[in-house]
Amino acid sequence: MTEVLLRADRINKRFGAVVALNDVSLELMAGEVTGLVGDNGAGKSTLVKMFSGVLRPDNGTIRFDGENVDFASPAAARGRGIETVYQDLALVGSMAVWANVYLGRELLTGPAFLNVLDKRRMISNARDMLERFVARVPPVDEPVESLSGGQRQIVAIARAGAWGSKLIIMDEPTAALGVAETRAVEEVIHGLRDRGLTVLVISHNLDQVFRITDRIWVLRRGEVIGSRETGNTRPEEIVAMITGAVPADRLG
Amino acid sequence: MAPASRQHTKALSELAKRHGLLLVFVLVVVAMLLAKPTFGTYQNIVNVLQQNAVIGIIACGMTFAIILGGFDLSVGSVTALASVVGATLMIDVPTFGIPLGIAGAFASCLLVGAVNGWLIAYAGVNPFVATLGTMTVVRGLIYVATNASPRFGVPYSFTSVGLGYIGGIPVPAIIFAIVAVTLGFVLHKTRFGHYVYAVGGNVVAAAGMGINAFRIRFAVYVLVSACAALSGIILIGQTASATPQAALGYELTAIAAVIVGGASLGGGRGRMIGTIIGVFLLGVVANALNLFGVSAFWQPVATGLILIFAVAADGFSKRGTFVLGK
Repeated sequence: MTEVLLRADRINKRFGAVVALNDVSLELMAGEVTGLVGDNGAGKSTLVKMFSGVLRPDNGTIRFDGENVDFASPAAARGRGIETVYQDLALVGSMAVWANVYLGRELLTGPAFLNVLDKRRMISNARDMLERFVARVPPVDEPVESLSGGQRQIVAIARAGAWGSKLIIMDEPTAALGVAETRAVEEVIHGLRDRGLTVLVISHNLDQVFRITDRIWVLRRGEVIGSRETGNTRPEEIVAMITGAVPADRLG
Repeated sequence: MAPASRQHTKALSELAKRHGLLLVFVLVVVAMLLAKPTFGTYQNIVNVLQQNAVIGIIACGMTFAIILGGFDLSVGSVTALASVVGATLMIDVPTFGIPLGIAGAFASCLLVGAVNGWLIAYAGVNPFVATLGTMTVVRGLIYVATNASPRFGVPYSFTSVGLGYIGGIPVPAIIFAIVAVTLGFVLHKTRFGHYVYAVGGNVVAAAGMGINAFRIRFAVYVLVSACAALSGIILIGQTASATPQAALGYELTAIAAVIVGGASLGGGRGRMIGTIIGVFLLGVVANALNLFGVSAFWQPVATGLILIFAVAADGFSKRGTFVLGK
């Protein structure tokens, strides 16, 4: 469990005169849930956008699964096994859960030129896929818009996990959810880890970060302040790192 | 209200929501059968089929555009274009005029569809503006090319397409049925139709999962024009001629039929069977007015009222659900 899945090495990113990331180096361990914390504008979202193929670093390297990668698009990142669950939920509300699980990856049947959907197989498979991560699977033939916010988030996360991806990135996965729904989503995140997937979570909610992560990385003003094993630190220390009450670790 | 009775009410409203349109249609038909014995006669049923086939074919194509979150205002002009181009070739070319006319009609209309599709999908022009533009330009070009006068003299044999019968059923109605079944299959059973729903429902999500939304949009507007071309060719067969003023206002009737059929202008919603019922609901009401001897000028009034009622009923059933981000 100590293998490095993703290593970012001295990543720099500027937007005009603004330095968003300054020599950021970070590691994600395979099979762990890593939390990425920091104040607004610390560069968390910018950093994960490099991993999900939305942005490219100005310089620095990203090594993923043993190879240097340079993603030209989110599709390229997805092709390598990095799925991102967006805050605004990339689900089609008017379509059924199974259709969303299979969106862009539809199973077909019959003569090739007709491209006929194999709905029956997708419906039954979608249920199985969700059951791998979710205790109470939402009804797969109901439209997504009839589900609660938490159930939708669960569908989005389980979809990401179901497609054989290695790393799942989530930006504030429970920002808009109530307490019970937040817990349900956290259970799904644990389910992903139990299946051997690596998870990177951006969250402002430190209680949550301490509940679900194995390791925490702290960013401040575009720089890495340091990382801690969740079991060997306390919220006070992380807060101090976020706010700048303690200086940056010296990292090799 | 007691929980049981509330559940009962909810089930009823669910039933009304799902099958309300069919219910209204059946009620109108039953009422007409009771009120006017002539309504149920073979001749009258054939009339209704004959009169609604052309608009029905256009409405089948329009269903795709509306589910995609757009619509196509140019279909009336495109229908007239097919009619004028087709008839002109059939009249002026001595041999093979008919196949050439059909080919020419489709080619010219697919070109307009491709322009619509390119403007909307790739240039990012709003569907209202793009198709209002092509609607006006195409109609204007038809007037310029024909000097606004009709073309007569299409070979009489071609009227079998517009006025003929096979097994007692009007040929246009048979063509409409084939189009409806084929496009219903494409919309509900194939991946292309599935992607029309996806792009219309949430284009960001669809594109994010690797669906080429540009291509889907382009293809849909070409498809709508192809339907309009078919309708224009049937119009030639109904009159053995072509009028530059043909199919005026068809775009709005077709859109009304699709919306009455339960599709939403917001995109992502609608079914082919709904469109077909919508076409015939408007058609039967027009026929009823006719049978009661009401002036034909009342027909658009009835169409408009049905449209408003259908949308209002739908809106009423969803009242109180204004949610941020919806």
